[in-house]
Amino acid sequence: MQSGVFNIGIIEPSDLLYEGLTNILLKYKSRLRLYRIDELDDYSRSIPHIDFDLIILNTSLIQNRIKIFRNLKREKPDIRWIGIMHSLINAETLTEFDDIIRIDENGETICKKIFRFSDTNKTPPSSTQQKSLSERETDVLKLLSGGLSNKEIADTLNISIHTVISHRKNISQKTGIKSQSGLTIYAISNNIIFLDKI
Amino acid sequence: MYLTDKTYIKSDMKISDIIRENPSIILVLEHFGIEDTLHEKSVSQLCKQAGIGELLFIVICNLYNGFAFNEPDKLSNSDIPVIISYLNNSHLYYKNEKYPEIIAYIRQLNAYGHSREIKLAEVFFNEYFEEVIEHLDYEDKIAFPYFYQLFEDNRIKSNDGYSASSYLKHHSDVESKLTDFKNLLLKHLHINNQGPVKRKLLYSLFELEFDLKIHSMIEEQVLIPLVISIENRNL
Repeated sequence: MQSGVFNIGIIEPSDLLYEGLTNILLKYKSRLRLYRIDELDDYSRSIPHIDFDLIILNTSLIQNRIKIFRNLKREKPDIRWIGIMHSLINAETLTEFDDIIRIDENGETICKKIFRFSDTNKTPPSSTQQKSLSERETDVLKLLSGGLSNKEIADTLNISIHTVISHRKNISQKTGIKSQSGLTIYAISNNIIFLDKI
Repeated sequence: MYLTDKTYIKSDMKISDIIRENPSIILVLEHFGIEDTLHEKSVSQLCKQAGIGELLFIVICNLYNGFAFNEPDKLSNSDIPVIISYLNNSHLYYKNEKYPEIIAYIRQLNAYGHSREIKLAEVFFNEYFEEVIEHLDYEDKIAFPYFYQLFEDNRIKSNDGYSASSYLKHHSDVESKLTDFKNLLLKHLHINNQGPVKRKLLYSLFELEFDLKIHSMIEEQVLIPLVISIENRNL
């Protein structure tokens, strides 16, 4: 999945509500993907293809199907569920959701309720703020560019192989480059290693 | 289910309208081998003239528009040779058009500056593309002939040993090196005063990446499920 993209599924049969809602959401936040899902059953079929972060669901669709809804939630526990409430609905149903939006609320309130889940869960602040490599990561990168394996790097730096792997993960996250040969080019262009050394 | 900013393509829509919204569909027509003038033709008229299954055409166009496909049982066996020819054509497009184009841009960058980084980038891209070629050749020589045979005989030879699942195993993902290459160009390499060439190179890489991505979706979501359903019928 692309980093930082927030995938929202919307299960709302009313075109009017759907169009209005997507309009509000798209204006509020970029890097959004909105998918319309026709009905609750359609959602389970689409699961393998899309990593939803959050699903907005018309509360009246589950009024008599609480059990099915609970099963769906259990399948993918990371997904947040927001209910749309536009008519009277029993209080017990409402407790099934992470939050409820009402149709008489203004756009900003609705967006705040929805996007509070995007800000806390995605991209921890450390990786967005600090983009340059740490000293240790630079050490790992130098050895990696020299063609050393994870095991050899671990031995040279006297650290565990798990630590090496975790450094490599951070290096790739910060640079956007995964392969060893790609990282070598990165190291050269940032003067971390010099051509005559390899 | 659909992605809000793209239209879900249906059989009565005009091809020219569809292309206006998503120009990548021009490439789809090319991969299908359709060269007719479009006039006011609808999807269904175009497919009829070209002898292509309408649903198959719609499914592939919709993949380009961002819609996944999950009902392979609605396609028919006769779609298999069409899919294979589509994929073959796209292989030719990668090898004979995209690759030389990208290499030419990289060399152009090289000719201006004397950056060692760009030279290494060329080596890197060549390495990546060798992996791609290896995969494409495997498909052309082993996987596709098997699928085609399956369609012709409508059954599996008893001691064949090859199957769609061996194909899936081979279907490794080489995308990440292309992403590396794009990120190097976009974020890290020092390329000065080469704006237009760098842009053209990046555009070309994005085009290649996009088409390769849909290419594997066609294989994974369309071709393989269809082949597996024939295999299962014969067990």
